[in-house]
This record gives sequence, C-alpha cells and structure tokens, in this order.
Amino acid sequence: MPEVQSQGSSEISSLASPSMAANTGEPRIRVRGLGKHYGALEVFRDITFDVGKREIVAIVGPSGCGKTTLLRCIDGLLPHDDGEILVGETRVTEPIAGVAMVFQHFGLFPWKTVSENVAYGLRMAGAPKAEIARKVPEFIKLVGLAGFEKAFPYQMSGGMQQRCGLARALAVEPNVLLMDEPFAAVDAQTREILQFELLRIWQERPTAMVFVTHSIEEAVLLGHRVIVLKGRPSSIHETIVIDLPEPRTRDTLRHPRFAELRERVWGTLMREAREAEFVLER
Amino acid sequence: MSVSTIAAAATPSKRPVAGRAPGAFWPRFIVGAVILLSWEFVVRAFAPPYVAKPSTTLMAIPRVFADPAFQTATLSTLTAVAQGLGIALVFGTVIGLLMGRSQAMERGFRHYVNGFFAMPMIVVLPLFSLWFGYSAQTRIATIIFAALFSIIINVADGARSVPREYLEVAKAFRASRISVLFGIVLPASMPYLLAGFRLAAGRALIGAVVAEFFLSIGGLGYYILYNSRSYKHSEAFVGVLLLAAFGVCFELLVVWVTRRFMPWYRREDKSA
Repeated sequence: MPEVQSQGSSEISSLASPSMAANTGEPRIRVRGLGKHYGALEVFRDITFDVGKREIVAIVGPSGCGKTTLLRCIDGLLPHDDGEILVGETRVTEPIAGVAMVFQHFGLFPWKTVSENVAYGLRMAGAPKAEIARKVPEFIKLVGLAGFEKAFPYQMSGGMQQRCGLARALAVEPNVLLMDEPFAAVDAQTREILQFELLRIWQERPTAMVFVTHSIEEAVLLGHRVIVLKGRPSSIHETIVIDLPEPRTRDTLRHPRFAELRERVWGTLMREAREAEFVLER
Repeated sequence: MSVSTIAAAATPSKRPVAGRAPGAFWPRFIVGAVILLSWEFVVRAFAPPYVAKPSTTLMAIPRVFADPAFQTATLSTLTAVAQGLGIALVFGTVIGLLMGRSQAMERGFRHYVNGFFAMPMIVVLPLFSLWFGYSAQTRIATIIFAALFSIIINVADGARSVPREYLEVAKAFRASRISVLFGIVLPASMPYLLAGFRLAAGRALIGAVVAEFFLSIGGLGYYILYNSRSYKHSEAFVGVLLLAAFGVCFELLVVWVTRRFMPWYRREDKSA
C-alpha cells in the first residue's frame, strides 16, 4: 500500500509541501509504543506518533476503537500499560501542567457562571487573583462569549457551552491542547462555526493539539496530519499528511485537494468501519 | 433556543409554582372549612368546654402570643433547634461527603449510620439524660441525634452520585483532593444536602419537643404539655399550630434557598 506512511514520514511529505510542514516545530508530544488494556480486553497497542509544537494531529477511527481512551491516556487521566508518553521532557503518568483538555460532554460545572467556569483551571493552578481577574475576561472575549460572563451553563446552547469549555482550557495557556470530540454534541451548523472559531484561535495562539473526532471532514479541515486507527485492539493504520494551504479558512473546504484528502481518509476509514460493523460483540 | 432559555431564566417568577395552580384555591378552602366546622361542631356537641376548638384557639392566639412565658419558651426551643441543626449540618455534611467518596469510610460508617437513623430518638433520651442531666444540653444532644443521620445519609447519597464528568474535569485540571471534595462534590451534592436538611429540620423539631416533654425543660413542647395538663387546651393548641408553622417555614426556607442559590438545579438536563 503506497499510501501507508510510517511515523517518520512527515519529513518526506515536507518535501512535497514545505510551506506547511516546516512550521510545525519540534515534537512537543511524543507517544512511544503505547498500549492499554482493561483486564483481558486490549484497547490499543503499539501507538507511536509525535505532535509538533505548532501542529494539529487529528485522530479518527471507527466508534469504539479507543480514540477517546488514547486521548485520556495522553492527558494522564487514565493510566497506560505499555510504552510511554512524553510531553516536553515530562513523562506523563497523571495530568501535568501545560496540558489542557476540552471534553465532548463540555464538563462545565452547572453551579458556576461562565466566568467562574473559565477561572476554574487558573484557580486550580494556583494563579493569583489579579491574574485571574485579568485573564478570564480576555479568554471569554477570545471565544466570543463577551456579555455572557454571568450566565449559567443551563441558560446557554451547546455551542456556547463548548465555547466556555474551550475558554477554560485556553485560559491556563497550555502548550498542549487535547480535544475529545469537542463538537460532537452540538448541531451541524454550530459545529461548522466552532471549527472555524477554533482555527482562528489556534492561528492566534498555536499549540500542539491532538483532536479526536469521528468526522472525517473535521479531521481533514483541522489536522496537519490525520491518524487513522483500526482494528481490535486498534493500532495506527495510516497517517495521512494534510498538505492543504495555510491558514485554513472556509475556502479550504472548496480546495480540490481537500476533497481528495477527504476521499482518501474516507476510503481508509470506511473499509475499517464496514469490517467493524459486521463483527459481533463478544 | 438559547435566547428563549435565557429569557425564561431571567423571569423565574413567571414559572408556575408547584401547588399554586390557579384552580386549587376553592377545593382547598372548602375542605379546610369542612374540617374546621366539623371539629367545632363535634367538640361543642360532645366534649367538655375546656377542650380546644377552632373558635377558642383562634381567640387564644393574641393572649398566648402576648404571654412572656410563651415567648421565652418559643425562643428557647427555636434557639436549641437552630444550634442543634447547625451542629448536625456541619458534622453531617463532612461525614456524609467522606462516606460518599471513600469506600473505607462508607464501609466503616454505613451500618451504624443506618442503625442510628432508624432508631427512635425517644429511646436514647434516658441515656442522654444520664450523661448530660435533666438539662438543655440533653435537649441539644437529642436534636443533634434526631437531625444528624438524615443529613449524613442524604449527603453521602449526593456525594456518591456526583457525575463522573465533573470529577474528570477536576482531575484534568489537577485539583487537590480537598478542593475536589469541597469545590466539586459538595456543590454537586447541594440538592441532596437540602433534601436531608428538610428532613432533619422536621426531626429536630420533634426531638426538641420530645426532650422537653420527657425532661420538663422550658420550651414550646413543655408549654404545650403544661397547658394541656392544666385544662388550657386552646392555649396548648396555639403552641401546636406554631410548631406546625415552623415546619412549614423550614420547608419554605429550603425551597427559597434552592430557587435563589441553585437556579441550575433541575435544569441540568439542558446542559448535558
């Protein structure tokens, strides 16, 4: 299979599109031979990839393939069994400073207002009050929630809630952002808006980002590379370099290369999904 | 959708209030009137004149409320109930939170808490009066005993059922264990805590009255006992009505606190 690329392939692809791969920077996250099992059930094995300092790596795979579990291992929320995860020079065994996560379930505290929710990460990091008072409005504004500081989560739509979740993660000014299907729980239009909001924010404040999604379009639009997981236990089936022009905008969706890459990821993923769909649960 | 929910939240007074449906007044009024009238009629027809009836009780109210002995008694009982509830609330919350979040604590405490909760408070009174004497301390101890366990049980239930997502977020942001317990588990358990408090407040009132009956300590319960033994049933009944009113007040307090400080409660389904 000529399309399958090994882990070191980003150098090869950088020859094809030097403008893009050149600015991802040196690796911030290094995942080496990662394996995880729950008792006898092996979730994934031998997962190896890097994420550059200014790079978005999207992970797609059939549902139940363990992409969310993988992300939780990278965050240190779940222990892993084999291999290692390095963020900078730190070996991850529990959540570490400088890494923030955005959740599919938003994870907002219903008894806190937008401001209080956004301040949560800073407070837990022990930031001084003056710093919190300065940063919280800044990040609320960045995600477009200005004017809703005193609103409670129950008063807001899903999209607004996830903007709040994003502001909470960004407020600690992480150099690694982990996105766990962040837009899966919002409606299609909102999802599209949030994708471009995320791109805008990322271009303003680039970080290393791992973006787990089940939407191929989303993965291709956002990712500099797309990792396709397959099988049970899952492993990396293919890493596809997304050599689309930067910055990504709405025009990216109409780029002929976008359609090509989407088809390619689709082909890889659907082959797997079709096989997975007709496997009986044990 | 977002605009309408915000608008709805901004005018909470327009939400239909439970039990205040527009058609509820007349049926309620008629049943109340029937009860009071038949009580009045039956007592007038068959009972001796000192037995309380609605008319004499109503007439006794100004007299009783002006009586300094009644005022002192009421204040004494209410102070004891407030103190006992306060102590039970603090200890009950801490023990409940620990039980809800720590398996060791849960295993250690569970049967004792359930056992004490089920135990009629009146059976511990002789013991308490041996330990603390025929005194106000025994009354406080009885109130705490009456209130503590329902708070523990409810808070522990609440702490156990904190959504995992909240704990996950707290862990991802590296919250300390203390901060998780009091910053996440406690506020998430607040609805349970208030339910426990509501139950505890009623039990605390009973505990106070029972202790006063048993120990003859000055208070509202003793006032009721004393007056009914001196054939002043109407006066006694004013005390009974006041106790009922306190029960209702605690209920309203809980409802008010829930509305005022937990607008998010019962609306969570919208956020997830």
